[in-house]
Amino acid sequence: MSDFVTLADLTLAYGPTVAVDRLNLSIAQGELIALLGPSGCGKTTTMRAIAGLLPPKSGTITIDGRDVTRLAPAKREVGLVFQSYALFPHLSVYDNVAFGLRLRREPDLDSKVRGGLATVGLADFAARLPADLSGGQQQRVALARSLVMQPKVLLLDEPLSNLDARLRLEMRMELQRVQQETGVTMIFVTHDQAEAMALADRIVLMKDGAIEQIGSPEQIYTAPETGFAADFVGFETILRQDEGGALAWRPGAVVLGSGPHNGTVRGASFAGERREYVLDTPLGVVKADTPVDVPAMKIGQTVAFDLPRDRAVRLARA
Amino acid sequence: MNRVATWAILGLTLTFLIGPFLIIVIAGLSAGDSLAFPPQGISLKWYIKVFTVESFQASFAMSMFLAIFGTLAALLLGIPAAYGMARYRVPGAEFVRLIVSSPIIVPGIIVGLALLRYLVIPTGVSIALALFLAHTALILPYAVRVVSGSLDNLRVDMEEAALLLGCTRMGAFWRVVLPNIRGGVLAAFILGFVTSFNQVPVSLFLSGPGVRTLPIDMIAYMEINYDPSVAALSALLAVMSVGIVFAAEKFLGFSRYV
Repeated sequence: MSDFVTLADLTLAYGPTVAVDRLNLSIAQGELIALLGPSGCGKTTTMRAIAGLLPPKSGTITIDGRDVTRLAPAKREVGLVFQSYALFPHLSVYDNVAFGLRLRREPDLDSKVRGGLATVGLADFAARLPADLSGGQQQRVALARSLVMQPKVLLLDEPLSNLDARLRLEMRMELQRVQQETGVTMIFVTHDQAEAMALADRIVLMKDGAIEQIGSPEQIYTAPETGFAADFVGFETILRQDEGGALAWRPGAVVLGSGPHNGTVRGASFAGERREYVLDTPLGVVKADTPVDVPAMKIGQTVAFDLPRDRAVRLARA
Repeated sequence: MNRVATWAILGLTLTFLIGPFLIIVIAGLSAGDSLAFPPQGISLKWYIKVFTVESFQASFAMSMFLAIFGTLAALLLGIPAAYGMARYRVPGAEFVRLIVSSPIIVPGIIVGLALLRYLVIPTGVSIALALFLAHTALILPYAVRVVSGSLDNLRVDMEEAALLLGCTRMGAFWRVVLPNIRGGVLAAFILGFVTSFNQVPVSLFLSGPGVRTLPIDMIAYMEINYDPSVAALSALLAVMSVGIVFAAEKFLGFSRYV
């Protein structure tokens, strides 16, 4: 069950430029996976390869036990909700949702389309053109258009990035509800770690075309394994160790005002609940914060600090 | 002062745009025997005579044939060419663009002469076929340019969405691309039609016994008969052009896309 979707030694390239290098990943049925990373990390490229829009240079992709590496997108039973939604502007909402079902000569077309529109709360919008809908509504049409095809895997490209804060929360709940109801395996691409943490069962953190770390949101948040992962989830002070590896601290874990080390305050800013400081120290740059009721320190001031071992995470590499 | 200037510019613009048309319409209404403005008396006889000149009937049919089928042929070649250059990395695409545009860069006189000297004379193809090929080539640049413009505004991910929903590449083109560039295709058709119908320099070299386009026929007619029927015919053609554009807008919603 844990290998409903597998990517094996997947290498993807645009011409001579390798975007993803020998990637291996197994995804269970019904799992909600986030491909997380900064732009250029290969997350979107990986998603396009699963959809069949980019033929791999080497490696294999299997879905539900079937090797789909060389199959056309249409034959993969994969849905994709594009970042731009990619609705067909010349067709009504109804016809957009019916598009794939008609090609398949679905006998139960009308009730499936109506059902799909009802699922995303747009039953009354069937006759409208996409241009007459808001961005959030367009995205739900795109979601319905993919869902009515009952894909084995639903891919979503930055599903929340074009929405404002309120719609973002709404869509997040919508996606979780749809996933509960349909049990479809979802893979979504995002550059926003908060989004990935909030939505995903498992996060695949990517960097430079390779997987940096895979884990549950809790694992990634509390036990990052590399400097990149640590920095991504807020361990801002990362110090290499002589015996190899590195230690990392969140700003709140650094003790300011007492301790064996000294540093110079180089930056200080007020952030509501906390005051944030950047220190220049013989160990390297240290980022720390204090509650607001601790008196503020000035830039240029020398301050004693401690980096308690028991509050650090140990990284395999910086 | 500003108001006066605005009205003056508006007046001049309208005079130069519509003035010649009005003069032609009125000159054709003359009761006299030679082309003159203002006309000598008023009658509809030249407007009626136009329909009785046999060579006009034949050359009008020829011009219509060239404008319709030349434009269709140019679109048949031009749409795939524009699509290919928009969607795929075609080696030497810029060169292809340049070659495709050459009929509007090279003066028509030279194109006509070259076709006569190096196509018609050595191979002996019929004048009608040569005219058809020449008009298709002349319209092709407009077809490619206008359709390319529409395609540039069309996002690739729409086609990708169609592929994922079960379309083949060809199916995605028919079901998603073509419906969304129909405004551009229609604009290209009208532009091509008008370009072909008004074409003189190339057609001038490609005319033979009984085979000539309407503008060439009108020039030939005027050389012999300097009567108002040419003015009447021009006015009728202008009305026909307006009618075509109007009908296109009415039935195909042209204005929505431009």
